[in-house]
Amino acid sequence: MKIKTLYLAGILLFLFGCNKDALVPIPSAGPSSSFITETNPLGKPSKEIMEGVYQVTSGSDKFGEYMVVKWNPDGILLTCKNGLHFIMKAGHLDSVVFVQGYWRDGYSDATGLCNMYISKSEGGASIVSGAGTTNILIRGAYGDNNNLPDQQLTLQYLRPISDKIKNANFYILGHRAGGRNSDRLPVSENSLAMVKFTQQLGTTGVEVDPRISSDGVAFIYHDADINIRLTQKGPLAGDVSAYTWLQLSTFVRLIHGEKIPSVEELLTYVVDSTELRFVYLDMKSAEAVPVVIPIQQKAIQRAKEKGRDLLIVMGIPNTDVLNALLAYPDYQNVPTLCELSIDDFKQANSVVWAPRWTLGTQNDLVQQVHDLNAKNLAVCWTIDSPGWIRDFLNQGHFDGLLTNYPYVVAYYHYIQE
Amino acid sequence: MNLRFTFFFMVMLCGTLMLSAQKTVPNDTFDIKNHTMQFPRPHKLWGFKISAGLSMVQPPKDLLENSYQAPLVNIHMIFGLPWNLSLESNVTTLVVSNQLTLGPRFTYLYKNFGVKAGWDFAFIYGQLRQAGFDNSLAGWASYPNLSVGYKLRKMSFTLKGELMIVTRSTSKTGENEIYRPTNFFNGGTLAFYIEQRIHKNKVFVIGIKDNYEKFYWPTWMIFTTFNRYYHVPELSFAWIL
Repeated sequence: MKIKTLYLAGILLFLFGCNKDALVPIPSAGPSSSFITETNPLGKPSKEIMEGVYQVTSGSDKFGEYMVVKWNPDGILLTCKNGLHFIMKAGHLDSVVFVQGYWRDGYSDATGLCNMYISKSEGGASIVSGAGTTNILIRGAYGDNNNLPDQQLTLQYLRPISDKIKNANFYILGHRAGGRNSDRLPVSENSLAMVKFTQQLGTTGVEVDPRISSDGVAFIYHDADINIRLTQKGPLAGDVSAYTWLQLSTFVRLIHGEKIPSVEELLTYVVDSTELRFVYLDMKSAEAVPVVIPIQQKAIQRAKEKGRDLLIVMGIPNTDVLNALLAYPDYQNVPTLCELSIDDFKQANSVVWAPRWTLGTQNDLVQQVHDLNAKNLAVCWTIDSPGWIRDFLNQGHFDGLLTNYPYVVAYYHYIQE
Repeated sequence: MNLRFTFFFMVMLCGTLMLSAQKTVPNDTFDIKNHTMQFPRPHKLWGFKISAGLSMVQPPKDLLENSYQAPLVNIHMIFGLPWNLSLESNVTTLVVSNQLTLGPRFTYLYKNFGVKAGWDFAFIYGQLRQAGFDNSLAGWASYPNLSVGYKLRKMSFTLKGELMIVTRSTSKTGENEIYRPTNFFNGGTLAFYIEQRIHKNKVFVIGIKDNYEKFYWPTWMIFTTFNRYYHVPELSFAWIL
């Protein structure tokens, strides 16, 4: 009897035990420890002076020999070649620049706090005045998790980001609006919060996944079903497209509590509230094509009116979507991104060609795309390994890379001379 | 969830069969120590034993998201050697992912308790050439392992621990090669097996295994970049032939 009971208890524990994925919280030393909100914001000239390639003179055993420092709309990104990166805010008090935030490892769960500063005599005065200097020393320390930073980190300015790279029309595209749930970011994939957050990771564009509800509303959601990988537990289950938009927006919350965004909400947010330059609508259903096109065109018009340099393209991942596009009146004027062959690319009159990265750099085909029209672009998806990111940037001719690790692409892109 | 309920149904079915099979039959001289493959016991000199089974796996959603999942097919073989030694081999396949292991074992049996220590060398090979993919993997790994067991007359219980060291692994996509770090400690597994006589001298094996690893070899084709350990539960059923 005892054996039976133990046996059954063990089986039930195995079958119904909790297997919730670990979360990686943003480290914090407590609300009173943040002083960056008390500093004065830096102007555009100051930010441009700070940007560049730095040598890591203390802390290189962990962070590598070099670091790229690049501003974004919400702060400043410090990124290394091995997936380690710093999500920081910066400001100044008198002639001292303070940089505060946290570091994380995109490939594991490691994270920690970081406090740094640039003293008046080590570049602070020049940065604050916007006058320019080549002698910037960023000093500070980093820690592990919520512990106060106690390990030395020093960055010595080496050179600015090259003009060639600054002027290149290159896109760093964040997968699923900037990162998957499995990347354990503090916001959900394919959410408005992710679109906002991802700019801090160095993205200049996003890929999102449109579907259509049972009452014809286009929304952003990756999987075909409602599941606990993407959503909090709720009353709805099964095929996500079987529900009306009202049901989805009322009863479904993404894993970090956000609502599922409609395609219109997302595009409006990108146009009005971000500096992103590229949106890749990776169509998850052919039925959504005629619904999404008018929304796409409306957003393109809105971006034009606001003077935004923003490319919004509809992805063609398969022949079903291609056929749905070809059946749409005036499809030639719909900006599209074709993941299929060059012939399909031509047939759809696409403006972007996007092959899978595993097919290699395919420089001859990329050249063909560029030769067809100088404005045509080629990007590849979804490339994540640091070694391959480096090789594709050094050896390939792509105009952008889609990735789950935008800070790694940012490092290898901005460090090029 | 469907997979979990399938697990549940099969476990309940097999468990019921096993527990009911404990009833004693008069003049039955069966002793499970002569028929097990997981329970540590010396094997007949130059004797050969084989089992065939299936393993159902629940890979973490970080790795496979909504991809199709299939059971692993496993063939387990033991060849008896002198001095309580034996040679064990496993062939595990998912068609697109395959592993062949071979390694020596030393066994010590004391009354109803058994201990077995061994070291397996593994060759992992996979290829995926469907749906526009042209990927392959070849790798080598080592599995030092230790098993302890306790037996009743018709039933045995075995706990097996195993470490995994990936000595070399190379993936290819078309002509592009992807190298993973070599000689890295990949984690370990802990498994619990019950071997139970079902019919005459035929023994059925049920096992629960927790793979706690960074690189779970059957999922090689997703080219994961995560540098974290994952629990990958595995439920196995085998029939000793």
